[in-house]
Amino acid sequence: MTTQTAKEIWTLEEGEVRKPGIVHVVMLALFTGIGIVVGTFGSLAVPIGFVSAFWPGQAVQSIGSIWFGWWGGIAAGLFPLISNSLSGSAPLPVSIAYLPANLLQGMIAGWAFRRFFADPSLRSGRDWWIWIIFGALLPNAIGAAWGTTMLVAFGLITQAAQPTAFLGWFIGNTIPTVILGSIILKFVSPLVVRSKAFCKGYWA
Amino acid sequence: MTEITASTPLTTLPTRKATARKTLLGQVPLDSPFYAFHPVTRLILFVFLGVIPLFIFIPEINFILLLVNLILLRWGKVDLRRLRIYMPIIFTVAIFMFTVVILAPGKDPSYTPLTVLGITIYYQPFFFTFASYWRLIAMLFGTILYFSTNHERDMLVGLRTLRMPFVVSYVISLSIRAAGMFMEDFRIIREAEQARGLDTKAMRFSDQAKLYVMYLVPLFSIALRRADEISNALFARGYTLTGRVGTGGKRSDYIRSRYVMRGRDWVAIFILVTIFAAVAIAQIFFGVFALTHSPLNIYLRTILNIPN
Repeated sequence: MTTQTAKEIWTLEEGEVRKPGIVHVVMLALFTGIGIVVGTFGSLAVPIGFVSAFWPGQAVQSIGSIWFGWWGGIAAGLFPLISNSLSGSAPLPVSIAYLPANLLQGMIAGWAFRRFFADPSLRSGRDWWIWIIFGALLPNAIGAAWGTTMLVAFGLITQAAQPTAFLGWFIGNTIPTVILGSIILKFVSPLVVRSKAFCKGYWA
Repeated sequence: MTEITASTPLTTLPTRKATARKTLLGQVPLDSPFYAFHPVTRLILFVFLGVIPLFIFIPEINFILLLVNLILLRWGKVDLRRLRIYMPIIFTVAIFMFTVVILAPGKDPSYTPLTVLGITIYYQPFFFTFASYWRLIAMLFGTILYFSTNHERDMLVGLRTLRMPFVVSYVISLSIRAAGMFMEDFRIIREAEQARGLDTKAMRFSDQAKLYVMYLVPLFSIALRRADEISNALFARGYTLTGRVGTGGKRSDYIRSRYVMRGRDWVAIFILVTIFAAVAIAQIFFGVFALTHSPLNIYLRTILNIPN
């Protein structure tokens, strides 16, 4: 079997038509389900307040948008609402306030992989750099900044405590994203890119 | 040889009547008073208890709300021992919040320093954190109450009764169901490994962590296959994203038709919505539930001689 180049993975073949369908909606739901399980376990595993010292849910968020475009992005926004409630790490109104950051945490990686034609199976050093910068560091920096700002806005931490909370949030999300996300991308991406649910564009 | 007729039963199976109902966080007896109410009433109670502490800054009221939640859990016949899984998070949240406010209280010159056990704390941010903690815990227990007494089907019926679009309610219910399916898949994968002689107890923590990560690979593969199967099944049954049938008409909803809104539901919803609106208006426009009105805050300020 011939291996596709990174650019071929994201480019439509001649005459190829891709449309969003039921399979994407189902994948969105199933991916949200995985996110609920991973997010809930992560929040309960090493809780240090509202911030988990190990939250692998972010890996699922980045991977989702790389594979399934906006469907993965929506799942990234949706599953923390449920996993935070189940684990007790954040009440519903606070989780709703996190929503924009969760969407961004998911979509940045998806945008970068499509924009720079990176291979989801992380075959080259370039792919790795794009994954680490746009899949782990940047989304978590934005997520931690927004999340801690919301905690201040809800009066759950003081403004002076924001840098400490930011650091805990950023480190607690970035490390599992790099470890967990890299392994999943490396081993599962070859299967996903051949599946019906894979999105070359943002919706199909 | 005995002749089998249409009227003779082939086997007589012992019938076991269900006495409990599975919920998202455990099991609740079928005679729980919560089930006398329509799922949409329970959903509105969830929004009420989960959101109303946002408008209340007075810690005493949030503490009472927490007690109300615990009383409702007890009244709903929820096994309170199941709530033990939340104990670590309840304590760590407190430790986190108070440690942070002690180490980083802010630099407002109007803050009043107090020395407690040799540590300097500042009254205003400390009391604010104390009040915030009770707000948070009250909200959390509102959520725990809902997930302890409701099944994913209840959530689905509640959302559909509120006229949520089909695709939204379907995604939410399938995602919650999927979480359960993945837990089951996870258990099967672990048991398969144990059947092949893998002893996780003898492994180092780092190896256990690596193993946990590797579990996700087959789980994702199963998800891909399942997405295909479910989407094909939905397509074969004529489902569309709009929730309408092929001829353009509205699809009938069997699950929703099994639940009927009764008088007590309307009364409960009216009371909950009225109280919610009253509390929100009282706080937003008149500041009735502001921290300055807390009796404990007033008492402490008086004995410590701290001006408002």
